[in-house]
Amino acid sequence: MKETLAKLGEKFMLCFVDGGYWKWLVEGFKNSLIITFFAILIGFAFGILLAMIRSSYDKNEETLKLHGGLGYWVLKFLNALSKIYITVIRGVPVVVQLMIWYFVILVSQDNGVIVAIVAFGFNSAAYVAEIFRGGIMSVDEGQFEAGRSLGFGYVRTMINIVIPQAVKTVLPTLLNEVIALLKETSVAGYVGIMDLTKAGDLIRGRTFEAFMPLIAVAIVYLLTVVILTAVFTAVERRLRKNER
Amino acid sequence: MNDNVLIHVEGLKKYYLGGKVKALDGVDCDIRKGEVLVVIGPSGSGKSTFLRSLNLLEIPTGGKIIFDGKDVTDPKANINLHRRKMGMVFQHFNLFPNMTILKNMTIAPVQLLKKSKAEAEKKAMELLSRVGLADRAGSYPSQLSGGQKQRVAIVRALCMEPEVMLFDEPTSALDPEMVGEVLDVMKELAHVGMTMAVVTHEMGFAKEVATRVIFMDGGKILEEGKPSEIFENPQNPRTQDFLSKVIV
Amino acid sequence: MKKVLALVLAALMVFSLVACSGSGKDETSAPDTSAPEEKATLVMATNAAFPPYEFKEGDSFAGIDVEIAGKIAEKLGMTLEIKDVEFGSIVGGVQTGKFDMGMAGMTVTDERLKSVNFSDSYATGIQVVIVKEDSAIKSLDDLKGDGSMKFGVQQDTTGDIYASDTVENGGYGKDNVVRYKTGADAVQALKTGKVDAVIIDNEPAKSFVSANEGLSILDGSWVEENYAIAIAKENTELLEKVNNALKELTADGTVKSIIDKYIPAE
Repeated sequence: MKETLAKLGEKFMLCFVDGGYWKWLVEGFKNSLIITFFAILIGFAFGILLAMIRSSYDKNEETLKLHGGLGYWVLKFLNALSKIYITVIRGVPVVVQLMIWYFVILVSQDNGVIVAIVAFGFNSAAYVAEIFRGGIMSVDEGQFEAGRSLGFGYVRTMINIVIPQAVKTVLPTLLNEVIALLKETSVAGYVGIMDLTKAGDLIRGRTFEAFMPLIAVAIVYLLTVVILTAVFTAVERRLRKNER
Repeated sequence: MNDNVLIHVEGLKKYYLGGKVKALDGVDCDIRKGEVLVVIGPSGSGKSTFLRSLNLLEIPTGGKIIFDGKDVTDPKANINLHRRKMGMVFQHFNLFPNMTILKNMTIAPVQLLKKSKAEAEKKAMELLSRVGLADRAGSYPSQLSGGQKQRVAIVRALCMEPEVMLFDEPTSALDPEMVGEVLDVMKELAHVGMTMAVVTHEMGFAKEVATRVIFMDGGKILEEGKPSEIFENPQNPRTQDFLSKVIV
Repeated sequence: MKKVLALVLAALMVFSLVACSGSGKDETSAPDTSAPEEKATLVMATNAAFPPYEFKEGDSFAGIDVEIAGKIAEKLGMTLEIKDVEFGSIVGGVQTGKFDMGMAGMTVTDERLKSVNFSDSYATGIQVVIVKEDSAIKSLDDLKGDGSMKFGVQQDTTGDIYASDTVENGGYGKDNVVRYKTGADAVQALKTGKVDAVIIDNEPAKSFVSANEGLSILDGSWVEENYAIAIAKENTELLEKVNNALKELTADGTVKSIIDKYIPAE
């Protein structure tokens, strides 16, 4: 046992301390967090926009056809576009999307982290859009009618009345998306970014130790997810308390 | 057109499935200032569709609705402005569950009428006191009974200072013992001269408060008149049939 | 928070127990495989994406390392079995006894020597630098680790390891190195201007430059290195046998003829 512990300690020093490799982990983790955070911002903003287009069309198709004129065609077009976008994004693995952004679309952007933020953000948007669309559609139609009957326009009804209620229903699913996104960023290494996974990989490639770096990386991801979950649960509880 | 007419409805149609289902099949009707119009009829007669068409929650397939001298069915009309002047009360209350009662009542005046928060809250509290719910201003809808919710829904609509109030079966979702408290509020509203259009199954209310009663069936108005005429001496056989089946 | 900590600690303990028992078993089983009786198998780990040293040809493998390994197995009276794994996993696998030896155009480094033994060198590799033809970088002396230029490498290769070292140690600093999964990605990044130079082995460098217009190789070699075979520290018996076989194969010209076959006279 003593021997094993000594050996483990030796490996620990080799993997994290001797070559200053712990700094790689810190930097990788920092990049993972930066990418995840900003990708979520893009994903939420763009995703909600897509969800509004999609649900507006679903809700108002009949009305607009009768009443709408040009507006109907614009919305129909935007809806079709959103649908194609969501289909394409959900149909292509995120690592392939990332490489397309890096090597084909954002050729002149040589900051890999920015490319990753864009790639993961627009990828996430497609999922957030469908989550929010589900949330919006699950809000009782009467809420919408009540908003409209008070004189709120469509968009203001959405923003003031429907979306706040939708957010609450979709919060658990959104947490899943955030967790998935954080873990998906582990493919950022494909375009040369040093994220947490890549940092672990590099330590592995240099020390030829698989156990220590992999477990370290796993624990950092795990702790991050545990903290994220706690934050979301707290927010959810606060929102629920408002109603009781 | 009479000066007194607030809403003029002409040839109103609402078809579904390309005309196979005619929820409204040519309705002509005037609603005058200060009158309490009660719409009765069997379920599926089109009475709710008629009421919901007045503020375009249902978009009519054809016909005109002139409100305040403007055709609200005109695609160019700003329907949001018209709706502010038409308060609506729903069968299922439709209070916003994530907002306090006070917030339910002030969100629209503050955002749409550009009232200050204090001003809107003062008005809301006044109205809440009138319906005996001032102490519930900070509560959430889920903490209220059905009757209380509906009373809040009525005063929420009143906060926008509407010219007319539309009631879509306001007591149908309530437990029987709560119907009275809601009808009382509606009666009081009628007494102070609010123009009202009410779809209801409460024949007692119709008899007592209505200035005019409309009987609808099959998407058409079959008979209209003073409550005494309709309830005591109906002319149309379908009206007779309907009234014989409901407890008056 | 305390609860979380306890959970993590528990997880760690479980993991380490598993790891300890795992490595124990490997140590005992390692020497078995080198027994020459009844034509035992010689398991060689490589990363078959490094022509001309090792690459896939249809369903089987080819290349300098593959052929030399075949000859060594022949000398040892064993059957060669090739495992195609990630480059970064080779040394670790050899260390734990998963593979008998690792042969993948691998350079002897101090760090690697901490984990495994290496045979005598059987070939020399040269790392060169590819730049764009219109680049301001005209010679190896122009390469600087002051943050003004980025270097593309394939992750975990010696190019990566040397270049990532500090400037004092002859590298360019880890922040100026961008590590890609494949050499092709690094070259692609060079073409699109994401890096200014790519450090890579001479042979693949030549094929990349001939396949892509507008790229050129800087004169001279960035580093020269000796390729050797990685063998577990415990397995000195195999190391000795391999070294003897290599000695014979070098003496009779076999090694040279294999290299010449894949790398036409330079």
